[in-house]
Order: sequence, then structure tokens, then C-alpha cells
Amino acid sequence: MTGKSDLIIRVAGEGGEGVVSTGDFISAACARAGLEIYTFKTFPAEVKGGYCLYQLRTSDNRIYNQGDTFDVFVAFNGEAYELNKHLLEPGTVMVWDGPGGDFEPEIPEGVVSYPIPMTKTAKELGSLRSKNMVALGAVSVLFNVNEDTLIEVLTNKFKPKGEDVLNFALKSFEAGKELGLAHEKVDPYRVADSKGAKDCILMAGNEACGLGAILGGLDFFSAYPLTPATEVAKYVSAQLPKTGGTLVQAEDEIASLAQVLGASYAGKRSMTATSGPGLALMAELIGMSTMAELPCLIIDVQRGGPSTGLPTKHEQSDLFLAIHGGHGDSPRIVMSVEDVNDCINMTAEGLNIAEKYQAPVILMSDGSLAFSTQTVPTPNPDNFKIVDRKRWDGKGEYKRYEMTDDLISPMCDPGVEGGSHVATGLEHTETGAPIFAPAPHEANSIKRFDKLLPLIDDLGPQEVDGDADAEADIGIIAWGSTIGVVREAVQRLRAEGVKAKGFYPKLLYPMPVDQYEAFASKCKKILVPEVNYQGQLAFFIRAETSIKPISYTICGGLPFTPAQIVTKVKEIS
Amino acid sequence: MSRAIFNNIVMKPKEYKSEVTPVWCPGCGDYGVLSSVYRTLSELGINPKDFVCVSGIGCSSRLPYFVKSYKMHTLHGRAGAVATGTQLARPDLAVMVTGGDGDGFSIGGGHMPHMARKNVDMTYVLMDNGIYGLTKGQSSPTTRKEMPAYITPYGGVEEPMDPVLYMLTYGATYVAQAFAGNPKMCAELIKGAMEHKGFAYVNIFSQCPTFNKIDTAKYYRDLVEDLPEGYDSTDMDGAMKIARRPNGKAPVGLIYKEDRYTLCDEMKRLVDLVGGSADYDKQKIIDLNRP
Repeated sequence: MTGKSDLIIRVAGEGGEGVVSTGDFISAACARAGLEIYTFKTFPAEVKGGYCLYQLRTSDNRIYNQGDTFDVFVAFNGEAYELNKHLLEPGTVMVWDGPGGDFEPEIPEGVVSYPIPMTKTAKELGSLRSKNMVALGAVSVLFNVNEDTLIEVLTNKFKPKGEDVLNFALKSFEAGKELGLAHEKVDPYRVADSKGAKDCILMAGNEACGLGAILGGLDFFSAYPLTPATEVAKYVSAQLPKTGGTLVQAEDEIASLAQVLGASYAGKRSMTATSGPGLALMAELIGMSTMAELPCLIIDVQRGGPSTGLPTKHEQSDLFLAIHGGHGDSPRIVMSVEDVNDCINMTAEGLNIAEKYQAPVILMSDGSLAFSTQTVPTPNPDNFKIVDRKRWDGKGEYKRYEMTDDLISPMCDPGVEGGSHVATGLEHTETGAPIFAPAPHEANSIKRFDKLLPLIDDLGPQEVDGDADAEADIGIIAWGSTIGVVREAVQRLRAEGVKAKGFYPKLLYPMPVDQYEAFASKCKKILVPEVNYQGQLAFFIRAETSIKPISYTICGGLPFTPAQIVTKVKEIS
Repeated sequence: MSRAIFNNIVMKPKEYKSEVTPVWCPGCGDYGVLSSVYRTLSELGINPKDFVCVSGIGCSSRLPYFVKSYKMHTLHGRAGAVATGTQLARPDLAVMVTGGDGDGFSIGGGHMPHMARKNVDMTYVLMDNGIYGLTKGQSSPTTRKEMPAYITPYGGVEEPMDPVLYMLTYGATYVAQAFAGNPKMCAELIKGAMEHKGFAYVNIFSQCPTFNKIDTAKYYRDLVEDLPEGYDSTDMDGAMKIARRPNGKAPVGLIYKEDRYTLCDEMKRLVDLVGGSADYDKQKIIDLNRP
């Protein structure tokens, strides 16, 4: 059970009923009031209708994940009730559409019930579309959502649509408030009081990748629609023209990465965003990026696979593909993001790293982070340093693939006198001429791998959660958005007296083997929780280190909860 | 493409030769196309530093290596898509794709409609020899049915396609056809393609004496026929009609030309629409996500 300052509200119903907007309004009102927000959403794969869930967690302390389960459940219809009734534990609250809705729930012992006639009232007000505003009004008074900030949010949203629209929304909202106030409050749940506004923005993971790209000096983006990655391109398409950049939609993911490499050759900071199926199609061109040493950034917003798989569901199952997908020995840089803040910073940094190391960079996000709205401190554009590629100084004879001390060969943009060269997918000499003799291929293979290794030191040590020198009973290694879940699990275990530590590598390849070993050397057991069937990170740890990790995998389309991790740790102790 | 890159330098055609010597078989039509490219660059006065030549995989895709220029030797079928990125990123450059029928219309066939309809401002020179040469003679999308090939030993089983008909339908704004045995005409049409603002496609019959024993230089010479006197290259109906070879002859010359906005124009329009510039205050973008 979460404390009073840490509240989880789940809203569920039919897609198109305003479930998402209800959640968004509450989230924005809380964020405006200076509280933290972390949301979790599931969408139907269908275009219209289907079950839809929006869970928001708010607190006056830092939040790292979506939480275990809800404190308050808002059921818009009978299907939502049926799908969630097994989670109605004693102590939880259900706000539901009734009387006059399409269901009559059985209220389990110990569950607080607040029926609100959402559908009936909306009909009386003259439009079913106001159902969500009625629900919002009731929820806001029942659980102490800051009214001032909520009214501001609603006004900002509806005023541009006209006074009539705004007035109708507020009227429906007021009607909902009346219905909420008619109930005697018998539960302890309240949204934390405002301690004053914070300088923050509120955005979802996909948008944040887009913002990071803009702040990272992106010039060129080639897009192809693919759930759950498309919102990255949606954001970039609206913002990139402002900074003079170009976004095009390509005919497929292969063309997307091809265009990105063409723009990169032309001297521009270039990227694309996709999901697993698109990344699979790009595999051959990733090899070309490696061979021709053309910088590029690819964001992989992972979804359930293989094949079409579970397009709208969460999974962390592209690690094998990201690290080893492709023919030949084709090294690339692979990193993961934990949260929305990471999406901003690491996308920007990903562009820098691609330029600096002249290599493909794959940044791995996932289906739940893609749509998770979170509060993050407002970034300052001046803090984003732009690292450019090493360019030819114009002296002497230009050799595109010159063997330099740091193995990074100077590039030269077209248009420079004396710098003409070929970017080639064939094995080549220092000048780019094709060569198929043994020695150059061996030397170049070493170059392409070893030039990436300094990145490990460049990025600094990957995060250890806890005292690096302290001995621990359990060490948990996590990647991607699972990190946020493990942070909370580690805190809870420590609170229960378990000596627990975490290791959160965001750089996945090249693998910082020494850091893994150092972490594991202080832990009696190593647990690697990840959302895929095979235990893909655990596999790499076994292959590359002397560690014998315990792999803990789930693949049901949902992220881990902190409680699952805590339970598992106790099970193996 | 950008006029600013024309007449910037005086170079003879042979001065555009790179240090790499062509490795094509004796009698290959691609030699004629290469000499036409040299001649075009010379006539237009293009500085090699402003020229990017992009290819995929195949015999004809080796062409960029033999030209003094910036160049990319990319993947099988992907040259057009790669070149699209280069063109959009740097509209100040002249971008040319060179490749063959298998590269362009088999593995790369999915990209062709889109560079054409989007009117990407670049030139695509396709050397059509009706065969896969580099892999030693398999049938390609333009191989005639009667020809036995490497993995069709009992003769062909498929109808060939006509690249010109496709490119007209796809919306290319400059469509020309020539025979490699007439380098003067090739050069004129490639020059017109490079001067054209928009996607220019030049289909060149280029015989493969090694693996295609039926589409010989003589066969192509007999096949082609100049466009009739008074032909109107701005008339799409007329272009479609003659491209279908009503008299059995393949028309050579400028078959179709149209002036239309390019993808690059549209990208610039979007930037202007939002008042975009490299100095745009990014804080304004960040502030859009204040709750």
C-alpha cells in the first residue's frame, strides 16, 4: 500500500470515451501544482473502441515507475470493471458509472464504492461526450486534485475551441463535482497538497526523444510509421522545421535508414525512429553504417514480438537484434533509456556519440515508456553541448579511412575541394578503394570494433545504486525502463533490512565488462529482471563476464512492478 | 538541380576520370554511358567537389568509382533512397544515381515510385542490359522471356517490364531513353536531366556482351527509333502511347518533361511556414510542454 502522498489512480473504459483525456487533465493539474507524475497507459490495437487504460501515479516525492497496483479505480464501463475486479483489494476505492451505466458491480468486502452516474448525467446535460468531464469533476473533489490548476488546465484546453465549448466542459465538470461531494468520504486517499509550482515540463517518452533530438542539433529525420514509435516522428515533424531541419516520410524502414545515411554522408546530423519490425528491416543498412563509418542514430521503441507480435504492448526483447542483428562482424553502439528525462538527454547525446564515433547508435526505449507521461525538470537548451564529427583539416592528401591513432578517420563533407572520396559498403583501403585481401579486412575489423571502446570511459561509470564498496546479499542488474522499477524495489528491500544493490547499465554495447565484474564481486547473488522470454541481457552477461546471473523474465505485455521484484528476491534468498 | 553549380570550372571530359580504371568487359555498353557522364559534367562545368554520384550493387553500379567526384557505393537496391537523403540534406549539390535494371527495378523497385512521385531533385541514369551481370547472368526484370539464363536453363518463364512506362506512371518529371551505342545522345539527355529541376530518369539500353547473348548492340540499334518529328514531350498521353511501342520500336530521346514543385521546395516551404531558422529559440519549443 502506498503512503498518502503517493497516490495511484487507474481510469479504464472504452477507447474514445475520454479515458485518456481524464487522466491527462488530472496529470497536468498535478504537475502544475508542483507534484511528480508518472503515467502508464495501454491502448487497443484497434483504430476505434476497445479497452483502454490510463494509470497515473502522483506524489510530492520522486517517482520511478507506475507502481504495483492502483489505490483508486475509476470504471467507465462494465468491461473495465470485469477486467479489473480481481485487483479490488480491501482498502482500494472504486468510482464507477452508476446508476445508469452498463453494469452493476459487486463490491468486495473492504472496498470503498462511490457510484457516480456519469452516463446518465452526461445525457441529461445534453451530450454523452461530457461523460469524462462528469467523471473528472467527481474524482477531483473526492481525491483532492488541485482545483485551481485543474481549472487552468481545462481552460487552456477548451478555450481555443470557443467559449461555448469551454462553458459546456466546465458545466459538466461542476455537475460531476456535485455528485462527488454528495458522497461521504470514507477512504484515506488524497492527492498531495501543492508545495508550490516547480519549473517542469510534462511529456511522454516518445515526445521526449523528439525534444532530445531537437536539443541535440538534429538536421535530418526520415520516418516510417510503426507502433509504438510513431509519436517520435510526430513530435519532430512539428518542431524540426522551426530549427530549419528536414523530416521526410519514407516508403519503408529500409528507405528511412538509407536516407539517413545519405544525409549523414552529406554532413548532417541524422536519425530515424522505429520499433522491432523496422529495426529488423534496417539490419543490412546498419552494417553499411558500420562499414562506411557513417554516423546515424536509430531509436528502437520496442514492442512485443516476434513478427507482428503485440504491437501496442510492452517488451524488452530487441536486445539481441540491436547488438547482433546483421551479417558479418558489424559493431554498433547500443544504449537504453530508463525514463522520460533519459529520453531527452540520451537522444541528444546519442547524436553526439554517433558523430564522434562515426558509427550507428541504437537507443532502446520501450512500449510503456513511449506513452508514459512524466514530469521532468525543464531543460535548458544551453546545457546541450553539440559534439561534431572529426573533419579533415584540408592538409595533405585526404584519405577517408585513414588509420589514425584513435582509429577515428576524419570525414569530409561534399563540397570541399580536395576531399572527394567514396563512402563504401565494400571492404576498402584507406582511400576507399575496394580490397579483398586478408590483412586489410583483419585490420579494419579491429578498427571498427576497437574505435568504440573509448566510449566506455567517455560515458563514465554506469550507475551503481548503493555504496559501490559495500557487500550485498543481492545485486540487481536492470536495463531500460525496468531500472525505475528496480530502484523502488531496492529501496523497499533495504527498508526491510535486506542488503540490496542495483547496477543500471545504460550503455549495453560495447559492454563495460569490468564494471559488471566489479559490481558482481560485492554481491552474493545477481538477479537480472527483464521483460523478454529468453533473458537477453542475462545471456550477454553469461557470455561476456564470469558472472552467473539468475535470470528473471516475464513477457506478458506489461512492465514489472516493484512488488514482483521484491517477491522474487525473497524467493531466491 | 541548383543552377549555382553549373559553369564553375573548365575541365575536359577526360579530366573527370578518376584514378580507378573501369573493370567492365570489352564491348560493355556501360563504357559509352561513362563517357557520356564525363562529357555532361564537362559541358555543364560542374566542379567535382559539388557532384555526388551514388550507386547500389551491380556492374553498372561500379560507375561512380571511375568518376572524379564525391560518391557512395551503397547496398543492392538502395542507391536511390540513399541519394534522396543526400539531396534533401544538401540541395546545393548535384546528385546522380547510376545503376542497373536489377538494382533499380527488382530489389530496389519499391523505392522507384517514391523518388519519382516526390520529385526528388536528382538524376537517375539506369543502364538496362536485361541481365544480372555481376552475378553471372540471371534473368532480371527486363530480361526477354525467350532467353535462357543462369537459373532459367529451360528458358524464361516471366514477362519483362518496361522501365519507361513505369517511370511515366510513377510521376517522374523527366523521362528519357537512349542507347549506349550513341554516347552523343546519351550525353545530351543526361545533360538535360541534370539541368531539369526535379526527378529525371534516363533509361539507357546498354548491352552485356558476356551474359546477354540476345540483347546485343545490334539488337538495340535495330530496336530503337528516334522520336517522330514534332513530338511533344510535354504531352503525357502521347508519351504513354509511344512508350508502349506501337510500331515495335523503342523510342529514344526526351519522352516526357514536366515542371512541378520538388520535395526540396516543399521542405523549404515548411521551414518558411513556421518561421524556422538555425537560430530559432529552442526554449520556445520546450515551453510547449509546460503542464
